[in-house]
Amino acid sequence: MAQAETQRADLQEPSTPAGRMTFWGALMRNGVYQAVSTTLFKSQRRQFWILASLPLFWIFFANLGPIVEMFWIGFLDSYPPKVGYEPQFTLANWAAFFQDRVFIIPFFRTLAFSFIFTAITLLITYPVAYFLAKHVSRKNQLLFLLLLLIPFWVGEIVRTYAIMILLGNNGAVNLALKSLGLIERPIPFMYTGFSLGVGIIYLTALYMLLPLYSALEKLPDNYLEAAADLGAGAWTRFRRITLPLSKEGIASGCTLVFLISTGYYATPVLLGGPRSTVFAETIAGFFHVAGDQWPMGAAFSSIMLIATLGVTGLFLKLMGRDGKGMMR
Amino acid sequence: MTKFITNRRQFIKSSAAGAALVAAPAYLRSTAARASGVVNVWTYANFIPDDFKAEFEKDTGIEIQIRLVDDQGKQFNLLAAEAPNPTADIVTVAGHRFLQFISADLLAPLDTDRLGNWSNINPIYSESDWATINGNKWGAPILSGAEILAYNTEVVSEDEVKSWDVLFSDKYSGQTAYTIQDMMSVVMLYKGYDGNMVAYMDDPEKAAEIVAEARDFLIEKKPHVRKYYDAGAEVQQMFINQDIVLAHAWNGPIAKLITDGFPVDMTIPKEGTYGFVYTLNVANNAPNSDNAYKLLDALLANPEVGAEMTKSSGFISTYKGADQYLSDIEKKASSFTEEELAGLQFFRAEANEMKYKLVDPAVEQIKAA
Repeated sequence: MAQAETQRADLQEPSTPAGRMTFWGALMRNGVYQAVSTTLFKSQRRQFWILASLPLFWIFFANLGPIVEMFWIGFLDSYPPKVGYEPQFTLANWAAFFQDRVFIIPFFRTLAFSFIFTAITLLITYPVAYFLAKHVSRKNQLLFLLLLLIPFWVGEIVRTYAIMILLGNNGAVNLALKSLGLIERPIPFMYTGFSLGVGIIYLTALYMLLPLYSALEKLPDNYLEAAADLGAGAWTRFRRITLPLSKEGIASGCTLVFLISTGYYATPVLLGGPRSTVFAETIAGFFHVAGDQWPMGAAFSSIMLIATLGVTGLFLKLMGRDGKGMMR
Repeated sequence: MTKFITNRRQFIKSSAAGAALVAAPAYLRSTAARASGVVNVWTYANFIPDDFKAEFEKDTGIEIQIRLVDDQGKQFNLLAAEAPNPTADIVTVAGHRFLQFISADLLAPLDTDRLGNWSNINPIYSESDWATINGNKWGAPILSGAEILAYNTEVVSEDEVKSWDVLFSDKYSGQTAYTIQDMMSVVMLYKGYDGNMVAYMDDPEKAAEIVAEARDFLIEKKPHVRKYYDAGAEVQQMFINQDIVLAHAWNGPIAKLITDGFPVDMTIPKEGTYGFVYTLNVANNAPNSDNAYKLLDALLANPEVGAEMTKSSGFISTYKGADQYLSDIEKKASSFTEEELAGLQFFRAEANEMKYKLVDPAVEQIKAA
């Protein structure tokens, strides 16, 4: 009833001060409009779906659409389409991955690198997040977070070049070590697994830090005080209270960092070396080479996506998060 | 459930605005590609000098929209993906990749009658055998380059760079860089084979053996290389940062370092190397082909423009008399001795299909090894 009243109120004829009918007024008196709008706004559920349609369209067509298309291209024998040739369905692109160790090595290297970098990022950022959440005043917390956010206002490439400037033979680190008399010849940091690790950890640290900070900030201080009163030492308090209660943040942070690490392309290209080729570079190779290599690239991209989602799912299961994101 | 829509008028306005926003990209894209005062050029960094661009736009009212490319294969794929209605009017194809683009129907034959300044190109380039395919010209040669050996003159002596051997030596281990794909051709030549693989077109088994030999050689030498790189800017950066002292490179990026006064030089070793020519081509079914021809003719108008292109890109101009407008250091940076030039041969396209079917997987194997 109330809804019908609202609809009737909406149909009041808007007019200008001079009494002339406005466009909206004319539209609302239109029978077709009235029939359509009454049907559309019959219930709140319909209103919800009308409002949700655009975001859902965006999610399915702009985000999932390209992934689905990439998955499909992986089953074609030729792409982009050639004039006068109908692409055929094939499993050869998927089979190729398992037939040559050339592809399997960078694939597992990528997963191993991502796993290691995720673990290191967690170890580095956990104390920082704890310090921010528990030992910094509310006002200063925002300031610190802002300072940590500032590098993220510039692009991935710019930050990668910053690492290059730091770690190059002529870079700041080598120059500092030289001026301190610690080295005579520059240490070749660049184009190694080390420089790649520094770059990836630097680029992904915030994705780990924010979920951790969010989880640790919610941790009630009186839990820790109660544990201390009962005689628990610092390590026991951390192991029995802080760590379990920040598990949610660890799971979120590790998931984000792992997924992002496996997908990085520009950073490994710029910072990695001959012995640290990652799978993203292998995939990119298929798209750079002229000819019918896109289907192979698409299949390999899909394999990487399935693998990373699988590993992430397994990790979340091990962390004890169920489908609703609740701690068991 | 919360009431989401309180006012239908608001809803209609919002929906209209939303629809307009959704439709906008498609509209903008089509108008950007087909605007009468636009020419869309896919080319490498610094190939079209800034001063020329500004002057051309001022004189003609045609805006040059540049999309940077850094790889022939990538450019081929992008153009193929857009066919038969490309957004590009002009693309930049290396002479030895013509066949691939032509057979895929991606280029329009070049109507040289529409280019009043065609004769300003040195005939060595404009009338060479690779420039005419199926009785047509397909591009305007603008810059030429070569795969060269670059070295830091403060560390590596001139005598040491007489051969490609130095790039694989223990002495400079960990201080070298190259692009694997190009290096495969150079290594074949270095080992006494035809890196163009034209000689093995009737003997695919021999071709496969040679590629395998070159691949195994580069895998064996992998511990010595500091970096496999892709773009000219990367090799410049590595020399500046002193991460490397030796590299296989294209002459353009190294020439830029030389003219900037960096202690680097380049040479063509005694085993020889491959040269290439960059050409500007009108894309098949280009949206603004008239503007494309206007731009091409303006680019070819006088040797000074050619010299500017050399200055901005580092590659050697194909225009007659362009060197008159170069300083001594610029001439030095864009020329080779007679002895060096004796070892220069151009990349050829005839065997490309066979060659790259063998080379591409080999490149991946080297990376993964």
